[in-house]
Amino acid sequence: MSIALFLSVFLIAACGLIYELIAGTLASYLLGDTIFQFSTIIGCYLFAMGIGSYLSRFLHRGLVARFVSIELMVGVVGGFSSSLLFLAFAYTEAFRLVLYVVVILVGTLVGLEIPLLMRILKERFQFRELVSHVLTFDYLGALGASLLFPILLVPKLGLVRSALVFGIFNAGVALWSTYLFREQIGRSHYLRAGCFVVVALLGVGTIFADRISNAADNSLYADEVIFSRTTPYQRIVLTKWKDDLRLFLNSHLQFSSRDEYRYHEALVHPGLAALPGAHHVLVLGGGDGLAVREILKYPSVESITLVDLDPEMTRLFSTHPVMSGLNQHSLTNARVHVINADAFRWLDTNTEQYDFIVADFPDPTSYALGKLFTTAFYRLAAKHLASGGLIVVQSTSPLFARQSYWCIVESVKQAGLRVYPYHVYVPSFGEWGYVIGSFEPYEPPKQLPSGLRFLSTANVAELFVFPVDMQPVPAEPNRLNDQVLVRYYEQEWKDVAH
Amino acid sequence: MISRRQFVAAPALIGPALIGLSRKTDRPVTGGFVNDSFPLGHRLRDRAAFPKPAQQLRVPIVIVGGGMAGLSAAWHLDKRGFHDFVLLEMEQQAGGNSRWGENEISRFPWAAHYVPVPAKGDSLARELFEELGVLRDGKWDERVLCFDPQERLFINGRWQEGIEPEDGATPKDRAQYRRFMEKIGEFRSTGQFTVPMENRAKASPLDRMSMADWLVQQGFGSAPLGWYVNYACRDDYGALAKDTSAWAGIQYFASREPEEKGPLTWPEGNGWIAARLIDKLKRYLRTGGMVYGVVRSGNTIRVLTERTEYVADALIWAAPTFLASYVIEGAPRAEGFQYSPWLTANLTLDRIPDQKNAEPAWDNVIYDSPALGYVNATHMSLATHVDRTVWTFYWSLAEYRPEEGRRLLLARDWNYWKEAILNDLARAHPDIRQCVAHIDIMRIGHAMARPSPGFLFSEERGRWLKPAGNMFFANSDLSGFSIFEEAQYRGVEAARGALRVVGRA
Repeated sequence: MSIALFLSVFLIAACGLIYELIAGTLASYLLGDTIFQFSTIIGCYLFAMGIGSYLSRFLHRGLVARFVSIELMVGVVGGFSSSLLFLAFAYTEAFRLVLYVVVILVGTLVGLEIPLLMRILKERFQFRELVSHVLTFDYLGALGASLLFPILLVPKLGLVRSALVFGIFNAGVALWSTYLFREQIGRSHYLRAGCFVVVALLGVGTIFADRISNAADNSLYADEVIFSRTTPYQRIVLTKWKDDLRLFLNSHLQFSSRDEYRYHEALVHPGLAALPGAHHVLVLGGGDGLAVREILKYPSVESITLVDLDPEMTRLFSTHPVMSGLNQHSLTNARVHVINADAFRWLDTNTEQYDFIVADFPDPTSYALGKLFTTAFYRLAAKHLASGGLIVVQSTSPLFARQSYWCIVESVKQAGLRVYPYHVYVPSFGEWGYVIGSFEPYEPPKQLPSGLRFLSTANVAELFVFPVDMQPVPAEPNRLNDQVLVRYYEQEWKDVAH
Repeated sequence: MISRRQFVAAPALIGPALIGLSRKTDRPVTGGFVNDSFPLGHRLRDRAAFPKPAQQLRVPIVIVGGGMAGLSAAWHLDKRGFHDFVLLEMEQQAGGNSRWGENEISRFPWAAHYVPVPAKGDSLARELFEELGVLRDGKWDERVLCFDPQERLFINGRWQEGIEPEDGATPKDRAQYRRFMEKIGEFRSTGQFTVPMENRAKASPLDRMSMADWLVQQGFGSAPLGWYVNYACRDDYGALAKDTSAWAGIQYFASREPEEKGPLTWPEGNGWIAARLIDKLKRYLRTGGMVYGVVRSGNTIRVLTERTEYVADALIWAAPTFLASYVIEGAPRAEGFQYSPWLTANLTLDRIPDQKNAEPAWDNVIYDSPALGYVNATHMSLATHVDRTVWTFYWSLAEYRPEEGRRLLLARDWNYWKEAILNDLARAHPDIRQCVAHIDIMRIGHAMARPSPGFLFSEERGRWLKPAGNMFFANSDLSGFSIFEEAQYRGVEAARGALRVVGRA
């Protein structure tokens, strides 16, 4: 009997610590700054336990029934805590609020457990023995949980399932208590039924844990992940939902197959269609081969050189049946030459000249990527322009990141080129911007290749008209020693997100 | 039966054994000491016997010392169309504190690694940089202006941009930063703090107190500000603020108001400048020939090396001034000149340590570390992605008296310094031991002049500024601190003097 009693102490102590560890781990995992998260969560949790202990004095009658219902509540709140937190992070803005509410709720309930249990047991044992035993098993439970958590639970069960399993333990203790203390509570069908309901609920949760963590893990990727690989350069993720394929690089959406034609037609044709004599084209970045697909619509183009950093990216888009279908096998076309190299360095060590250059890099989310949007880069790229040639630069959103956009335009200009900014609406991106740079005056093309889905001779000139809310704002050029763009960009997208 | 004593003792014995067994085996790190120069220097100090030179050559001007001062003197002579001179360097590689190295990943500096963007008034530095193609039509080449992000500081368990401590600074600290910068602005507007320092410097009571005392006197009690100023003194002078002249401490901050965000830097640091000068001047350069004696003989000066005796009309002594009394017959000891011992290390990393959410900067400093942090050699690469790099780790042994520091530098073996360096870096990079493959360490006993209180405006220093007849002293230590611009200025000034002696001024 007494062993069974103290075993429950051991279990509820372990459960209590597990919820605390889960909250701390999840918060560090999702928000970063481990020291801050663990400190504040442990602090709040212990404080809430204090509240629980204090509140226990107000419980007078029916202590066993109270204890059982508290166990059930801990089981439900604690058991679903990590699912709730994951989903809160994925789908709401209120993650921190949910986090601390859960921590305080669980802490308060856990704080009630031991004082109640000791009062229930005080008739059966001497006080001296009781305190000693209860606290010993309490601390042992904590030790067990703290060892189990990193060694077994996180690697084998994951955070979502671990919480659910320990929720079941709480409910199990509740159920067990209805038998252990049956003299004190008599026939307690309601309580026992409650226990079964909670166990069932948590059991179902455990079965569906994978779905929950998938839904949360892929919060950004709302759809099914069909390919994911971390290369030395980036994390490549492909998702699919019905006929919509999406590519994410480091969690940033690169395209959606539903509307990428808008983006890529607008990237290539306003520039290339204006160069009827273009023979040699250079694509920097753009390892998905979609810009190349558009360029291949020009029979006059003899060679296309694609320089992309990541061999995994170009391999995927050359060989993956779905992906190479999307780019119409552009990367394996005889006119296309794929080079895996760092674009800036490659340009610096080459002397080839091109009629048309496409700079299709990911947005300047870091100083490292920001280098590819500097005056120094555009100056170097301009040296590779054949006489009369053009360069086009993907330049982020002139609506969401207006100053960033005009900063890129200014940087191209500072490199000594005339600039022709334009934009297009891509539903999955929003308003998107480009800029054409040229030594010679440029005019939008009067003719376009056939078979385009978005651009026509009627609307191509309209792309160069900027509505009032996207018109130029003052911006410094982005330079290697002063990357204002990275700071503009971070600020502007932060403002969009909040 | 096991006795109680044995029972107690057992874990004490087994414990360490288990820890030893289970300790994560760190990957082996290769490396050693490189460029040791003290054996040569100590031969001079100990007045060792040197073989008599086999040949005698008549050369109007001899420059001794192939560091930045000697190279600048040679640069000036050559530019003025004077070609009849030699530049003698005792090491196999010229460049002095601007020497550099190279491995399969990158070139890297051995000491001096940047030049602040020279102000309009520093015409000499601008002239050189124009000649080297770095300054064109008043515009600096953007590829040699230090890329963004320039500096970061590891403080309170995370990286912040810039090395002025912001993280955890209180409003009181910020108010003191502001007041400090205002104060510096006032000093700047006096026009007395310039580079090179001799241009406008005026004797000042500030030189007689230490930088630390000046901070106290001005009521600057902020701990992070104190750390920042102390760091600046350690970094530029190899001395603590309490051992640095307040004038020199203020000069560090007040002498510069760059027109462009800098500094100028290259993967190999100032080795880039040295390499170009060496290339231009190689016809004059004789390396590996230590000058062990300089003797006056009538109006000429006999300069003795192991191979050749040069007979010159004028001598430019661009080697450290303290060496003069060991080599030049009748030269007095260089009293008051103090030199900080330094240790620099180049670490080859074949993996980049986990940066968490921070981006590596060019200069990376750890708050409250006794060392000065590290400079990343691949920072000036155009690449967006590097998977291997070289870090140059700097450590001025500022908390020791210079002699003590030098003794320590020689007393400890490579393994000791290697562990010290890795332990220091592990504060900010816990995975550093999994990333480092090789560490070369360079010990420099007399690395930089130390502007101790009272030195800058002392009679002693003044005495060495004047030529001794047809001997001209040119080392940057004459300015009290060792920076590129001072070395260049002293070298060119000495060259001008020498040209007057040979009648070519």
